[in-house]
Amino acid sequence: MKYGNRLKAILSTLILLLSALASPLIAQERFRRTPPIPEPLPELKIPEIQSTSLWNGLTLWVIQKDNLPIIDLKLITFAGETSSPEELPGMATLAAHIISRGCSGLSSSQIEEEIEYVGGSFSTTVHPDYALFSFTFLEEHLDRSLDLLSRMLLQPSFLRREIDTIKRNMYYDLVEQGSSPDFLAKRQMLRILFANHPYQKSTFNEEVIKNLTQKDLVPFFYNNYRPNNAHIILTSNLDLETAAIKVRRYLQRWQKREMRPAQPLSPESNNKKIRVCFIDTPKAKEATLYLGNVVIPATDPDIFPLLVMNQVLGGTPNSRLFLNLRESKEYAYQAFSQIDYYKNFSVFFINAKVRPEVVEASIQEILNEIRSITNKNVSTFEIEQAKSYIISNFPLQIESLADLTAKVAENKALNLGDDHWKRYYENIMLVTSDKVFELSRRIPLLTPVVVVVGDSDIVLNQFGKFIKEVEIFNDKGVYLGTYKFD
Amino acid sequence: MKMCLGIKKTLLILWAFVFLFGFASGIQPQENKKLPFSATLYKLKNGLHVILSEDHSLPIVSVVMVYNVGSMNEQPGKTGLAYLMENLMFQGSENIGRMQHISIINRVGGELNATTTVDRTVFLQKVPSNQLTQVLWLESDRMKSLQINAAKVEKAKQEIIADIRNRKAFSPYLESYWRFDQLVYPSFAYGHPVIGAEADLQELKVQDVRDFYNTYYVPNNAVLSIAGKIDREKALTDIRKYFETIPEGKEIPHMPLSKSPEKIAIHESMESDQAPSPGFHLGYRLAHPSSEDLYVLALIEYILLRGNTSRLHKRLIKRERLALHMEGSIEKRNPVARFRLFILNNNQFMVQRTQRAIFSEMNRLKNSFVPAEELQKSKNMFKMDYIDQYADSLSRALFLAEEFLFKKILINPSEELSKYLAVTSTDIVGVSNRYFGEESVILDIEVK
Repeated sequence: MKYGNRLKAILSTLILLLSALASPLIAQERFRRTPPIPEPLPELKIPEIQSTSLWNGLTLWVIQKDNLPIIDLKLITFAGETSSPEELPGMATLAAHIISRGCSGLSSSQIEEEIEYVGGSFSTTVHPDYALFSFTFLEEHLDRSLDLLSRMLLQPSFLRREIDTIKRNMYYDLVEQGSSPDFLAKRQMLRILFANHPYQKSTFNEEVIKNLTQKDLVPFFYNNYRPNNAHIILTSNLDLETAAIKVRRYLQRWQKREMRPAQPLSPESNNKKIRVCFIDTPKAKEATLYLGNVVIPATDPDIFPLLVMNQVLGGTPNSRLFLNLRESKEYAYQAFSQIDYYKNFSVFFINAKVRPEVVEASIQEILNEIRSITNKNVSTFEIEQAKSYIISNFPLQIESLADLTAKVAENKALNLGDDHWKRYYENIMLVTSDKVFELSRRIPLLTPVVVVVGDSDIVLNQFGKFIKEVEIFNDKGVYLGTYKFD
Repeated sequence: MKMCLGIKKTLLILWAFVFLFGFASGIQPQENKKLPFSATLYKLKNGLHVILSEDHSLPIVSVVMVYNVGSMNEQPGKTGLAYLMENLMFQGSENIGRMQHISIINRVGGELNATTTVDRTVFLQKVPSNQLTQVLWLESDRMKSLQINAAKVEKAKQEIIADIRNRKAFSPYLESYWRFDQLVYPSFAYGHPVIGAEADLQELKVQDVRDFYNTYYVPNNAVLSIAGKIDREKALTDIRKYFETIPEGKEIPHMPLSKSPEKIAIHESMESDQAPSPGFHLGYRLAHPSSEDLYVLALIEYILLRGNTSRLHKRLIKRERLALHMEGSIEKRNPVARFRLFILNNNQFMVQRTQRAIFSEMNRLKNSFVPAEELQKSKNMFKMDYIDQYADSLSRALFLAEEFLFKKILINPSEELSKYLAVTSTDIVGVSNRYFGEESVILDIEVK
């Protein structure tokens, strides 16, 4: 009996054990303990860009995407703020907005009706180098949309009351943006970086808008809005041939004109020593920091190491700046780095939102992070991680029609060439730790213009440990004086 | 007789095969081939619905997990639970640390988001396509074994309370939105704020949170929708591996009775010492969200409200300059969809003039046909927005999941869109007369 019981017990244990081993449920659950190993990233077939030129010099770029019945069209005219007359900053912005405010046979309200009739949306962005117009509409209304665009571009009415409306909108936009510490800090940083250079016009404030008149607008418009000074980028189901026929039909009449030589190159000298500026925003609960300098243009082959370096330093919340300033030191709410591209140079900058009582310490930490990149090689592991992020994230940036067209438009505006687009992955893959190191020593990372926007009662008292001089500006960018700390 | 037996036998064998296959795979695919994109619906053994939509144009995949739970499932005194759960879903599960979900998605170059509404809690991820299994691992772990403890609950509570205070301080009209919801939806389930009440949150117990999680965050109350570059068979194998071993939850408690609120006119006012300008909310209770009338009402929304050339925008903002700001929509909230408007004015006199102008526009809709050109414009705008809902992988995954939860089938967007585009001017007159009567709900906001 006893023996029988023991046998039963052994048998039951065995059965239990065997069934446990055989149970897919328990065996499967082990996979939950560790993350699955990802498969290799599938190859990205970068959408092909085809192009043709109309006899009038207008360049058409076509990206054919077997897609939904929507067309995204971007028009670039090289009539950004750097093209504004020296004494009339803001003129390029006014000119860009005038085209949707009335044209031959259509009032501004009728233009809005037409845009909405084609299921569309139309927006205007003015960059220092170019003006960008985005027009999205239903494929079935291609003819009507191109007809509208052609009338807007070729026959704007320049009515005084519409000019006044645009000026009023520009004024209130700038006033409203003036309440944003980020806007104030970045504008101030760029004003200093672009000092005595045509690019400085792009940082105009609301006071100059009153100087813009119809008399100056009309010649500016006709001098700059010419087909041989423009590109159209079109993403849709259409192939190049069909797209070209349609565009030609509506924009062939656009008359070309001899263009003035291109604007001067990059700002002559980038900032040579750290320069700290301060704008007072009383009672601000956080301090906003911008640190930046002029660096290489996007056409420079070293742009790829710069992209990787940016990723290591401040591209995401897993980058060094965020992990140090926010997670480790708990100084910052956020800390990132970024690159803004211009036609002949770029601006590399860091922006952070920090506790106002640790502004100087935060600047020091940011500079320490930069130093660690310029003093020794970033580990291969970190470099590979950054490259993998850039490559993996790129398709996300070009998924929507609008994003894809915008990316191609930016490439064309910056004159990046076909290889930049086609060999993007390859060029990122070729970046090594040594290349990042060499690049970091080539560009002026350690002598940035620093702009702090915050509450002077808290921020100014803490300077003096390593920042010995702070220039004070008001929120319109007017220089008020310099504080010296001994 | 013999023949009958033969058929019976065949059917029996067929049934046995289907049963075995069904049991082995646990899936019943429903493929809709007429869609403007591919999409297939499956149901796993534990009740989880899975939608897969293949699109190989870019190496991207979007994963959306929708739980059929929101603030409407909360009990009086326990508001804020659904929103709190959204927060806790990022605070770690058995195999995944606190905030690790976010850092993993960021590290691989992906993007993520989450949102809680009256009736849904949605988690969204867009990642490089080779990371699909990683996302399945992350999503399944928090569905299976979310770690809920006192410290995490307390931290989430305090964050949400700070959020409520912050929103109240910086959104001067927030409380008017909440009051307006109560007026349109007098029942507790649909009328209380999604973010919850501070006093309720303070009193929430860990057990309340665990009960809510165990009741609603279960496979049989969720839809997993995936769109992008996937191999459907492999994806399905991985989904089964990660999700099918999660036990089915108990039967989901019945929703509060779907009784439509009584259609009566309400005109109330509230004083605000924060609001910089006076204004008002105005609404109409419409049909049940699944009513065919919603096709017509959607077009009415475009005619009245959408874009800069809609009737109300032109009249109130541009022509007569009565209003400083206007926003509105038709909301498909159970048990009754509503038309809602929020307007800000310069002064109280303008408030009254604006309300009169709105009623006159409503009467115009009821008494005269919308001109063909205007109707076509509204349809074109609607079509663009409708297509935009599935134009990229993340929108598509979300669209498919939402529509499935709403209609219980995999809808065909082309067929659905054609119903909207078939609306006529006569339909608009009829539907306007049916819903835009005297029974409007108005909440005036007066500046103290």
